[in-house]
Amino acid sequence: MTLKVLTVDDSKTIRMIVKKAFQAYNCEITEAENGVEGLAAAAKIKPGLIILDITMPVMTGVEMLERLKGDDALKAIPVIMLTAESGKDNVMNIVKKGINDYMVKPFKGEDLIERVRKIMPLEPKTEEMDDKKPGKYFTQVEDVVVLTLPAKVLRPVSVEVENSLQVKIKDMTAAQLKKMILDMGGVSETNVSLIKLIITALQQCQKANVAVKLVANAKQGEELKGFQETSQITVAHSIEEARAAM
Amino acid sequence: MGGIQTIDLKGFVTNAVKGVFQTMLSMSLELEEPPNFENITTGKHIVGTVGFAGAAMGNVSIFVSRQFACEIAAAMLSMTVDDIGSDEEVHDVIGEVCNMVGGDLKSRLCDSGFTCSLSIPSVTFGESFRTESKGWDRHERYGVRNSHHSALMEVYIKAAN
Repeated sequence: MTLKVLTVDDSKTIRMIVKKAFQAYNCEITEAENGVEGLAAAAKIKPGLIILDITMPVMTGVEMLERLKGDDALKAIPVIMLTAESGKDNVMNIVKKGINDYMVKPFKGEDLIERVRKIMPLEPKTEEMDDKKPGKYFTQVEDVVVLTLPAKVLRPVSVEVENSLQVKIKDMTAAQLKKMILDMGGVSETNVSLIKLIITALQQCQKANVAVKLVANAKQGEELKGFQETSQITVAHSIEEARAAM
Repeated sequence: MGGIQTIDLKGFVTNAVKGVFQTMLSMSLELEEPPNFENITTGKHIVGTVGFAGAAMGNVSIFVSRQFACEIAAAMLSMTVDDIGSDEEVHDVIGEVCNMVGGDLKSRLCDSGFTCSLSIPSVTFGESFRTESKGWDRHERYGVRNSHHSALMEVYIKAAN
């Protein structure tokens, strides 16, 4: 069964490191930037594990942990805290609050996995799982679904993404999720298959009343202007910028 | 508890930065004496800063050239420099590196009897700018380097009255 992992950290860097650490396992990662977003995400997705930073704006990890432990529906979720502070008082303070484990930054992804394995088994992801999973291109940042396009978008890949998108949009409608980011920042070549895929994706989202923003780097943004069908599309240069514009 | 002047700030800060670079980036750093301050701050560079307040107050900053910052970000995110999509990613990484160094320093200060809290990191970037802060008990700079680049650590600290 897929383990839902919620990573709550104001640093995108740490969230990416956590995400990469779980990449080899059958896990679905949801990200949140602070305690408030983390609590909302926890209530919504009921994760099997929370990786929680301490020092964050809006609501700290310690406050979020206290609220989690005070909520009957959420208090049993295992929590591993990440802290940049290894001082005795700090460690004692967080251990007393009922966490399952803690890690002091800096840390390596494999060390985090070792800690998780002490709390729960992790099922390695098989190629079969990867291929069958319609959501392999998708991640979720709060209420925004992010479709990350692979480095090379040739015809077979674009067909696969289109099919996955159809399934995902149905799931989104059922879950009342109405925002999507199409991230082409990692695509190495702008070709006709990519352009067709972008247009199809935008049309599918429009049809389902899903707001969509395109993320591309500056070079890709210029290249998109060279195709008549995509010349008018406004691009954001990062997921954060796209989220802010939604 | 000894006075703020007796704390081994240099050991705390340089060991923290070496530890962060080794663990997160698999990058070995060595001390650079004297620090290569002019070289780093003359061109485009990035400064990550985190503050601490309590029985000891101050801040710790890391200065790196933009090129080194990009290489740090790429190593931290397991990417190549060309794969980095935006300055935002680089700034976030430098902020996080500073947060880890500041967190370690804060822990050492707390364990030495100077209980304090840590701020959220801030990042400043640009070209040919200087940062200056006055009224501290100690102001120290330490240089570290790998085979290609230098980084500078700067600490301001004072004991609360």
